[in-house]
Amino acid sequence: MEYVFSDAVKEVLGKRGLKEDDIKAVIDYAEGSNDKITDGAKNIAKKEIGDLTVYAVYAVDGGNAVVESGYAHKMKVLDIVLDSSDAEGWTYAKNGAQVRKGHANLTYMGATRSGPALVEPTSGEAWFEEYLAASALAAAEGLFEAKRA
Amino acid sequence: MSRKIGETAALCPKCLKTIPAEKIVEDDIVYIVKTCDEHGSWKVRIWEGVDEYLHLYDFAAVQKPPEKFVIDELKDCPQDCGLCSGHKQHTCLNVVEVTNLCNMNCPICFARANTDYKFHPDMDLVRKMLQTVVDYVPSPRCVQLSGGEPTIRDDLPDIVRMAKDMGIEHIEVNTNGLRIAKDIDYLRALKEAGVDTFYFQFDGTRDDIYQQTRGRDLFEIKKQALANCAEVGMGVTLVATVSPNINIDNLGEMIEFAAKNVPTVKGIHFQPIFYVGRYPIDPSDEDRISLSQLANAIEEQTRGMLKADNFIPTSCSNVHCDIKSLSVVLPDGSLFPMTTMALGPPRDTENIAEKTRTEVSQFWRFIEETMDGPSESDDNSWKAFVDRAKTHYLTVSSMAFQDVWTGETERWERCCIHMVTPDGRLVPFCLFNVNNKDGETLYRHQVFRPYAEKIKE
Repeated sequence: MEYVFSDAVKEVLGKRGLKEDDIKAVIDYAEGSNDKITDGAKNIAKKEIGDLTVYAVYAVDGGNAVVESGYAHKMKVLDIVLDSSDAEGWTYAKNGAQVRKGHANLTYMGATRSGPALVEPTSGEAWFEEYLAASALAAAEGLFEAKRA
Repeated sequence: MSRKIGETAALCPKCLKTIPAEKIVEDDIVYIVKTCDEHGSWKVRIWEGVDEYLHLYDFAAVQKPPEKFVIDELKDCPQDCGLCSGHKQHTCLNVVEVTNLCNMNCPICFARANTDYKFHPDMDLVRKMLQTVVDYVPSPRCVQLSGGEPTIRDDLPDIVRMAKDMGIEHIEVNTNGLRIAKDIDYLRALKEAGVDTFYFQFDGTRDDIYQQTRGRDLFEIKKQALANCAEVGMGVTLVATVSPNINIDNLGEMIEFAAKNVPTVKGIHFQPIFYVGRYPIDPSDEDRISLSQLANAIEEQTRGMLKADNFIPTSCSNVHCDIKSLSVVLPDGSLFPMTTMALGPPRDTENIAEKTRTEVSQFWRFIEETMDGPSESDDNSWKAFVDRAKTHYLTVSSMAFQDVWTGETERWERCCIHMVTPDGRLVPFCLFNVNNKDGETLYRHQVFRPYAEKIKE
């Protein structure tokens, strides 16, 4: 599979301290295992790399994976909470189940709080959207780390 | 059973000469022991818990000496300070005394305000002191305008504007709050001139405390001053002089008061009483509070909400000089501590000094503002935590200033809080104020008298 990173995407990844190889690894894993959510056109996949959970947002076009974005968080998911039975337009490719709106409890450096997530109750999986990882989660992680340093 | 854990140099409390000193441990208490050939020996308690005392050395930053020294040659520390080329840490806070006159006459006063001479520099001399800061301290420069009571000067807003124009980025004013409680127009003028924060004398939440520390009821006046600060948007750090005989039992209530007044109150700083200037007793160990005692008392009085383990050295000065915690204040008024000794020494000690000079706002550089998502109603979410933490945080800190009994060169030569003198020098703050039992100083009177008027016999 060929990977396509636009200059804008490369810039975002650089700003977030992510490597193109990390994103490729996430996509490789997702395409090999079906461990991803998809709306038919766009896919969101995640993979733990080191102490990060790295996300790739991408579309598959023929033999190309066109990367739309990538982001990451360090917090670990403790458990998920289902908020609504409404389908969110996403399907978990691994089991074909509808993805729902929910929350997940995330823990980092001894503190646990919640964050909105896309959840799939039967598997217990949760996916966080880019806005949350790049704002609240990143800020909280940075705050805790800055006080350690 | 006594064992030696270190050697340093200190001052004779009688003649102020430099004398050799040892640090010893007895019954898990660290003492400084020193002998003057002429005047005898002294043993003074400086810490409780030798393991913690020694462990704190692991938190020491790789220090960054001044880029330029006022005195290029190596001098006899602490007798010929300026700073000289032996000084190991750059300046973080420059204290500029703009008057030694005061609108109070406290029983306790490190600055000996209202003494027998009047040091009240004109604008040219204030400019000269600020120029010393500009010449010897690189940006970002922080100045504390102090006294005496600086707000007795009607031209203080002019001094603040001048300092800003000269390139001083951060200005705080050390005040007892009397004037700003009754004169909000003056407070506004200071704010508009560029004062960033007040370093605000606040010894407790009861008037019996103020009666002992300041000789009068003051709590209502303190609250009025804070209300005025809230009205004009002025940030405040509360500063409590803590005495084991007066207000050690009030720490928890002071922290609670501070948390209730966030975000106007940014922090509360506990200043263990140190015996320089004007004080009513000859101190024994029981008249002192060490940082370890203070942290334990805070843990007890906040019922464990803020633990002794939440206090870490800033690592900017010597590791035994100060402790600091940072907490987010939650909606119910409780504290969510962000700091803990359990996380161990900092990973990148070389940057510590720079970090301590940055604002809390720097934490938010991690946020990509364009990524701000939909609002949330869940108070227990990470977004709610982050949104609140941007404004509702509280530092609780303490610095153990040294006096003629506790002082040692190991700490003075690593000091980063410096008095700016009218003759163009920088001198560690507590060294500048040290005096012997007869009131003779090493620096304060010698430095100020040539620029002062005699005001009484």
